[in-house]
Amino acid sequence: MRNSLDLHDPDIGPVDVLPLVRLAGVTKRFGHVVANDCISLSIMPGRIKALLGENGAGKSTLMAMLAGRFMPDEGHIEVAGKRMAFSSSRQAIAAGIGMVYQHFMLVEDMSVAENVLLGQEGGFVLDPKAMRATVAELAARFGLAIDPAARVGDLSMGERQRVEILKLLHRKSHVLIFDEPTAVLTPGETEALFEALRNMSAQGKAIVFISHKLEEVLSVADEIAVLRKGRIEGEFLASEVSSPADLARRMVGRDVLLTVEREPVEPGPLVLSVRNLSMQGAGGALLDDVSFDLRQGEVLGVLGVGGNGQQQLVETVCGLIRPESGQLDLLGHNWDKFYEHHDWDGALAWVPEDRSGLATCRALDLTDNLLLTTREGFSRGIWLDRARARKAAQEIVLAHNVQPGRIDLQAWQLSGGNLQKFVLGREMRRHPRLLVAEQPTQGLDIAATEAVWQLLLKARQSTGVLLVTGDLTEALLLSDRILVLYRGRVMGLFPASDKAQVERIGSMMAGLS
Amino acid sequence: MLLTLHKREEALGRGAPVVYLCALALSLCVCALMLALAGKPALGGLAVLFRGAFGQTHALLDALLKAIPIFLCSLGVALSFRMQIWNIGAEGQFALGAVGATWAALTFGGQPAVVLMPLMLLSALILGALWGLIPAWLRLRLGVNEIISSLMLNYVGILVLEYLVFGAWKDPLSFGFPMSPEFPPAAQLSRIWPGVLGKLHWGLLACPLAGVAYSVFLNRTRLGFELAACGEGERVARYARLPYGFLVLLVMGLGGALAGLAGSIETSATLGRLQPTLMVGYGYTAIVVAWLARLKPWPIAFTAFLLAALRVGVEAMQLELQIPAAFGQIMEGAILLCVLAGQFFLTYSVSLKRARPAAPKASPQPEEAQA
Repeated sequence: MRNSLDLHDPDIGPVDVLPLVRLAGVTKRFGHVVANDCISLSIMPGRIKALLGENGAGKSTLMAMLAGRFMPDEGHIEVAGKRMAFSSSRQAIAAGIGMVYQHFMLVEDMSVAENVLLGQEGGFVLDPKAMRATVAELAARFGLAIDPAARVGDLSMGERQRVEILKLLHRKSHVLIFDEPTAVLTPGETEALFEALRNMSAQGKAIVFISHKLEEVLSVADEIAVLRKGRIEGEFLASEVSSPADLARRMVGRDVLLTVEREPVEPGPLVLSVRNLSMQGAGGALLDDVSFDLRQGEVLGVLGVGGNGQQQLVETVCGLIRPESGQLDLLGHNWDKFYEHHDWDGALAWVPEDRSGLATCRALDLTDNLLLTTREGFSRGIWLDRARARKAAQEIVLAHNVQPGRIDLQAWQLSGGNLQKFVLGREMRRHPRLLVAEQPTQGLDIAATEAVWQLLLKARQSTGVLLVTGDLTEALLLSDRILVLYRGRVMGLFPASDKAQVERIGSMMAGLS
Repeated sequence: MLLTLHKREEALGRGAPVVYLCALALSLCVCALMLALAGKPALGGLAVLFRGAFGQTHALLDALLKAIPIFLCSLGVALSFRMQIWNIGAEGQFALGAVGATWAALTFGGQPAVVLMPLMLLSALILGALWGLIPAWLRLRLGVNEIISSLMLNYVGILVLEYLVFGAWKDPLSFGFPMSPEFPPAAQLSRIWPGVLGKLHWGLLACPLAGVAYSVFLNRTRLGFELAACGEGERVARYARLPYGFLVLLVMGLGGALAGLAGSIETSATLGRLQPTLMVGYGYTAIVVAWLARLKPWPIAFTAFLLAALRVGVEAMQLELQIPAAFGQIMEGAILLCVLAGQFFLTYSVSLKRARPAAPKASPQPEEAQA
């Protein structure tokens, strides 16, 4: 055996019970990105463990390893004290670990009972009555209200989820993992799910609940592990959490590791003005009466836990969604007028969160990726001047030290950091007066992060920067002012120098005003 | 043992031709197997195929003749495949092109060739383009999958052609055969050098012209670039403010026009009249060609010739070995599947690994022992 890592934190859970599943120093890398970095966790029977973290924090990778979809690069997994190496999800299921995915895997044309017992019939002849009775008995035992004879295609999302849970229970899963289970549920269904989770854990099942929603985690979990940038940032008993704000801060990071030089810039003219912007979604308001201004020479950090309206705000500003209600002025023109005569140069540039697949085309080389948003600058009539574009791409690669420095490489061959530097270089070539940067350093290493930050600060001399981020460090380092979004509402808008308000950012992000 | 897959970091350079050759060889093996199963001499059959296709000058000329419509249709579908719009409708657009040319030939039959030919060409281009625009419009307006609609319009297109030759345009002197009257000489494309080049006609000229236009359009114009960028998906198109809807209409219209051009050349040059035998599936072969050639113009020309030669070779097999005509389609299918499967190895590398059992292990695993 390898030298054992000390996992039994005395504060966590009853020590006398053996953990059902133990992760010991598990590391998983994808290329240059470390998705999980030496993670150790114990999953105890009869407990609900929440795994809390932002998008991209590594939650799903971690659970995919438990469910047998990936193998860890380092470290190992123990089930009931025995070391296991799963090479398929079948093996994980056999070991009693089951996962309820966000996308259900059910046969819509079959009944609930048939779905639950699919592949588990145990014989050639089926007895529908006995099948229904088995499923009804199982459902009753764990308090999952469902009609075993109903056709799955007719069921609501919440009911389908119950069918998925029953499938796992029938396969005698001891550990049930739920990946963002409430994303598809109505509030009523969410409450019913939580009741079922408590019920199952009371009967000795271990539940792992993956979420980025603080309030849900606090209302259902016994233990909470906060994951950030692939590492366990902290582990607590839910009863010990005195302030959700603290949890929020841990989730988005509070440690200031790096500093950047910020020279004051004289604010210029208004580049973006948002007044009473609202948007309705199926589950309620996505944006709720948002108002703010942004001037040239300033960075406005829009801070919030993912999924609180940032995407809708960015897509509205960047012209993908027409504002429904409220007023949005860009560079002094209203939204309709601005996007009717959209000018590639000297107007708006957007660095989206998804840098390979939205900001760039994976299968195009760097020259073509430069042309993606700047093609108007390289065309004469119907013709495109590729030679000039190649020169410009070369300039960007040199100026921003984009490795490995070849413009004939396709976008997918660059690391995230180098691609991001290229994207920023390209967008700055458009001389924007308004720059929208979305999670610009997510997944980047420290050197690339610093380079991107320098670029953004330099950009602010000639533009107004709308920096949408879930990273508190980044927001505090770069922003002149900070706006906190929660459920599409502005929870606070204040100068980054306002110490008292900055202290309260965590509570604002958690929706506590 | 366990097979594991890795995405290649660097594109496969010199290995790529090897992959293609292996795929081709494999498809020939499949065909030999099919022949053997049908009770025909496997190797002998393939020998007949090759001799029939490449053995004589007239066979090569015949292949070149058949390659003309395949090449033109293939350029058309390749254009839309570039932006991930799946135009399966070249066959129907080809039929409508033939109908258009016939209409002009029958209506303005008295005009001299300099007037008549452009008129035929124009009406063929327009009808072919319109036939391609229907699925494009359905997709943009109603979200109809263009694969289904363009495929189904093939059958409608062929039925339109048949309706006309069985009815309004039927030649009174045809003894009841479904065919239009023969075109006036001014409406027939002439042969280049009848004694030497056989039936090869001036329609061949359309190929280099279309090929160069295709190449210039994609590589040198802004629209051509925007097309390729759209191929990465509608989301990117929206981000980069590419005129997605316009481009869909453009590629489907141009693709239809190219297939229509092929249809008009075929009616005017090889048959000299409109009749249902015109429809021999060039529009479907064109799709196979576009895929095999990975949408690049020179490879499209080369592959169009190869598959045309295959058709000629299969004709020889039909005569000598009484092999059904469908064998040609089987071969086309086998080549396509093998090459597509082979292309997988261009992006992934495969390696063998010792399987790791899932059962609990007492001893540490090899890598960890070193750690």
